[in-house]
Order: sequence, then structure tokens, then C-alpha cells
Amino acid sequence: MWSEVFSLGFLVSLLAGTIRLATPILMPALGQIYTQRAGILNLGVEGTMLMAAVCGFSVTAATGSLWFGFAVGVLTGALYSVLMAWLSVSLRVNQVIAGIGMNILATGLAAYIYRLIFGIRTLPAKIVPFQSLDFFGLSKIPYVGTVLFNHNILVYIAFALVPITWFILEKTTFGLKIKAVGEHPRAADSKGISVSGIRYAAVIIGGAYAGAGGVFMTIAYLNMFTESVIGGFGYIAVSVVIFARFTPGRAMWGALLFGFASALQVRLQALGSGIPSQLLLMLPYILTVVALIFASKKAEFPSAYTIPYSRMER
Amino acid sequence: MKNKLVRNAGREVFGTVLMVIVALLIGAILVVLSDNQPGEAYSTMLRGAFGSTQKITELFVKLTPTLIMALGVSVAFRAQLWNIGAEGQFIMGSICSMVVALYLPVPIPLRMVIAFAAAVVAGGLWAGLAGWLKTRFNANEVITTLMFNYIANYLLLYLINGPMQDPYSDLSQTDLIPDGMRLAKLIGTYRLHAGIFLMLLVVLIMIFFWRTTLGYRINLVGQGEKVATYSGIHVKQTVVVTMCISGAFSGLAGFIETFGINYRLLDGIAGDAGNIATIVALLGSLNVYGIIAAAMFFSVLLCGGASMQRMTDVPYSVVDVIQGLIIILVIAKDTAMARLNTWFGKLFARKEKEHVE
Repeated sequence: MWSEVFSLGFLVSLLAGTIRLATPILMPALGQIYTQRAGILNLGVEGTMLMAAVCGFSVTAATGSLWFGFAVGVLTGALYSVLMAWLSVSLRVNQVIAGIGMNILATGLAAYIYRLIFGIRTLPAKIVPFQSLDFFGLSKIPYVGTVLFNHNILVYIAFALVPITWFILEKTTFGLKIKAVGEHPRAADSKGISVSGIRYAAVIIGGAYAGAGGVFMTIAYLNMFTESVIGGFGYIAVSVVIFARFTPGRAMWGALLFGFASALQVRLQALGSGIPSQLLLMLPYILTVVALIFASKKAEFPSAYTIPYSRMER
Repeated sequence: MKNKLVRNAGREVFGTVLMVIVALLIGAILVVLSDNQPGEAYSTMLRGAFGSTQKITELFVKLTPTLIMALGVSVAFRAQLWNIGAEGQFIMGSICSMVVALYLPVPIPLRMVIAFAAAVVAGGLWAGLAGWLKTRFNANEVITTLMFNYIANYLLLYLINGPMQDPYSDLSQTDLIPDGMRLAKLIGTYRLHAGIFLMLLVVLIMIFFWRTTLGYRINLVGQGEKVATYSGIHVKQTVVVTMCISGAFSGLAGFIETFGINYRLLDGIAGDAGNIATIVALLGSLNVYGIIAAAMFFSVLLCGGASMQRMTDVPYSVVDVIQGLIIILVIAKDTAMARLNTWFGKLFARKEKEHVE
């Protein structure tokens, strides 16, 4: 069977899987770059993705419209993260605890919403997910076509968001303001920038991106919802941001690395490699720890990272 | 001074209770939305928790791991170390004590002692590793402890489906431990077992722990790295030790559940225990007595919730939502109360002013 691992067919399906599985990590990671650059660590991404996954899926199941479901997923992500913004910016609570609380709440809420809408059922509710594009036959090109041109539209949107996010952060006033409130909120405040306004925006945009990643799992990767559908992708995305030292380009490579680990795990299982599936399933999580080890020392965190801002305090 | 302390504690407790009530009220709304009677749901919950002697003993069965793990989590939280890996530490404790119980060829009493030690050490090291990674590489402990949960869970699944699987069964579980190694049952056939004495011992230790030098050092680390360094403490060393202690508690809880309830390794042995430990620790304001009260409340909520799900049509997820709401309301509490205070303060100040004029 090891000869199969080194075959071209295996490599092609592995790379195609890498790109597909990088998507649900790339989207929330790009969003968290806004949030973390503004000085807020939102560990609630995991729960935000779960909420978007269930809401987007429900809407698609009810209306049959994938795009409507996607839009609702993005909206759900933005709305749910308002809670995080309120807790961390307005109430100035500890962001780590707030994030954990958001995730526990989301676990309950998502299961409740699913049960309320779909009732108790023996088989999970299913939808027809986004189909792969073929780019007028480009996907028929041997090997390259399968790797690059045979994904659904959301995958391309995710990768298109990389330069867009870079542009917004580096080339617009808004991006500059985000970095200012993350580095030196007091100076930003004295220049007339609304620190809490910008931080709210950064958290909500991050939530919208996370929502896109979450709903991707239920309407573009799988065709159903389970309570473990996100499976730590939110936390992995947060560590990808640290790994990427807060830049969109490097976040893309980070997401691809995790996509590779996940895809390798899936492909080796499908092959019946003899390596127990449970050990393969550990791969992305072990990789996260390893990546964090290598990246954290070098990462230059924004100066006001996880520190709430108050005009009254020095 | 003493009076002020009592008043502050009173306000703290009042605020917490208020927030729990708000969470239960929102839970009631969710019950209504799922086409059920909230009164019926909550009364079924209470009957499910207190309805009979057997049910009351079940509360203590639930309380034992919950309280031990929450106290363990609180040790790390006091040092501002966000160990959310209690679940993984519980699993590693269960696995290692089980390996000893099944495979170590020494007399039963000695094997019992080694199994106990293995659980505590395994839980401690699993958390301590995250602490070391934090001090050595600045790796965020929230993410590492969480990733360790996934890794421990998959390790458990691997073991019960592979090398440790019961040779006489197709089920994903290990063989049972020898009879002599099971924690004694206390009342007839009820599940309540001798592990409860270990819980009492842990509580006793924790009451005195915060007065020891080590407890003091851990609190100082929680005040911030600068404060701790100026006080002449080895911050890094304390961080690792704190994490080890924190994880050891969860490892111990794993031992107690495995040797008192399950007698074998199964899928999902930890359940939701890690999250619950986190919530209980925070609900109890990281204070030993507060955590005891919070753990008792959660035992009622969980046992009652389980019976509510069996007896009524209310989805169990309502209980999960209530848990999530409690944690969010409790952290929002201090600011909310402070705002309320200033608001009231202004109101009264204005009235007094009017009075003077």
C-alpha cells in the first residue's frame, strides 16, 4: 500500500483535499487578523462558527437556497460576535473567559436550534451542498485541473479574501485605525479615533468571516449538521493567526498547512494505510501545538493585545 | 474592616445568585419555545434531583468529580493560567491508572496505590506540559490545553479500539478491573462509592492550600508577572508547578470515576466534565467555599436535567444553554453590578441635592 502513497493519483487527491480543507480554517483566520490586530483575542470563534453552521444549514434546508443559507451564516457569525464585542470592549471582562463562555453557550444553543427546527430524527437532515465548478472544462486538465479547478465557489471566495483582507488592512484608513487601536489605543483615542467603535467593528468583521467558515462546513463540505462539525477549527484558526504573525499572506500558508494535515489524515484513512484512524485524526491537533511552539516566540503581538481600554485608567 | 469584607462577600453572593436566576429564567423561555411547560420542566428537574434516597446519592456521585476538577481548575485560574484542558487531564488519568490496573503484575493493594499515583501524575504531567510550553515557548495555554483534549480523546479511542480492547467483546471498551480494585459502594447497590472520601480530603486540603507558601506564590503569579518577579518568585517554575497541581486534580477525578463508577475505559468517559469544571470554578469566584456551593448547584442541574430529558419532551440542550448563560452572566456581573451601583448612586445623589435645595 505504501507504493500507492507515492503515486500521482494519491498526490493529486491529497493536494485537492488540502485546498478544500484549508478553506474552513482560512476564512476564520483572516477574520481573526482584524480582531487580533485591534487588540482582542476572540476565542469564541469556535462557537461563532458552530452557530453559523447550524443557522446557515437550517435556512438552506428550509428554503433550498444555498446562497441564502450562506448569507445567513455570515450574518449569524457577525451577530453572535457582537456578544463577544460587548463583553470584551464595553464590559472589559477577561477575553479568555468570555471566549470560553461563548463557546459553551454556542454548544447548547446550536443543539437546541437544531432540535427545535428538525426535531428528533433517526437520520440527520440533509441538503444538496455547493457543487464543484469546472471553469469551462479547465477542471478536465489532468492533475492540475483536479487540484486547482475542481472546487466549489466558496473555496475560491476564501482564497480571494486573502488579498482583499491584506488590502483593507494595509491600504485603507480603516485598516490603519485597526492597527492603531491595537498598538496604542490611547494615542488613537487622542487622534479622535473611537477605540471602542473600531474594536467593535474588528470583532464583528472577524465574526462574519468565522460565520463564512462555519457555514462552509455544513453547506459546502458536508451536507449535514452535527454538534462536532467544527471540531476545533476555530481554535486552530486562532493559532494560525499567531503562527502567521497577523498577516493574511502567511495565514494562507498556515491554513494550507493545516488543510494538508487534515487531508493527509482523510486520504490515509481512505487508503486503509494500516495506521489506526484514531492516531491519524490526532494529526491536525498535534500540528497546531507544534506550530504554536515554533511561532509564538517570534510573533510580535499587538502591544494592547487582550488589554481592555478605558479612558479613565492609566 | 471585617464588616466590609462580609458586606462585599454578601454582595458577591447576591450578584451571583441573581445571575443564576436570570439564566434559569431565560432557560424557561427556551422551554416555552420548545412547546413545553417551564413549571413542569423545572419541577421534574427538582424531583429528578431530590425525589428519592437513590436520587440524592446520585447527586453526590456527580458532585465528586465535578468538585474535584473545579477545584483543580481554580488553582490554575488563580494564577491567571487558563487551563481548559481538564477533560484531557481526566482522560489521561483514567488511561494511566487503567493500564496499571489491568497489566501490572503486582498484588492488588500495591497495584491500587500505583494506579492512584499513576492517575495523579498523568493528569499533572499532561497539564504541566502545557505549562512548560507556555514558559519555554510562550505557547498560549488555552490553545495547547484544548488541543491536548482532542489528542487525549483520540488516544483513548485508539486504545479502546486497539491494544486495550476487551479481548472477549466487540465493543469499544477495555476489560473490567479486578473486583478487589473497585472503590467500595457505601449504600447497598447504589452507585455512591468511597471516592466521596477522597473528595472530602481534597476539599480539606484546598481550604488550607491557599494559606501555604505555595498557595501564596500562585496567587502572586496571578497578580501579574511584574508583581511576582518583584516579590522574588520564580515565575516560570511556579507556572509549571501550578499547572501540574491543577491537572493532578483532574487526573484524580479520572481515577475516581474509573475505579468507582465505570470499572473500565469507554468512549466518552469524560463527558462534558471539563467544561463544567470551568464553569463551576468561575461561578464559585475561584473561592473554595464558592466552588463547593457552585458544584452542588451544578450536580442538581445536571442530575435533574438528565431526568427532565427522560421524563419530558424538553431537549437536554436547554441545560447546556443555561450553563453557557451562567458563565457569561457571571463574568458580566461585576461590571453590570458596578454600573447599577453608580446609576443608583447618581439617583440618590440627585435626590439629596434636591433635598438640600
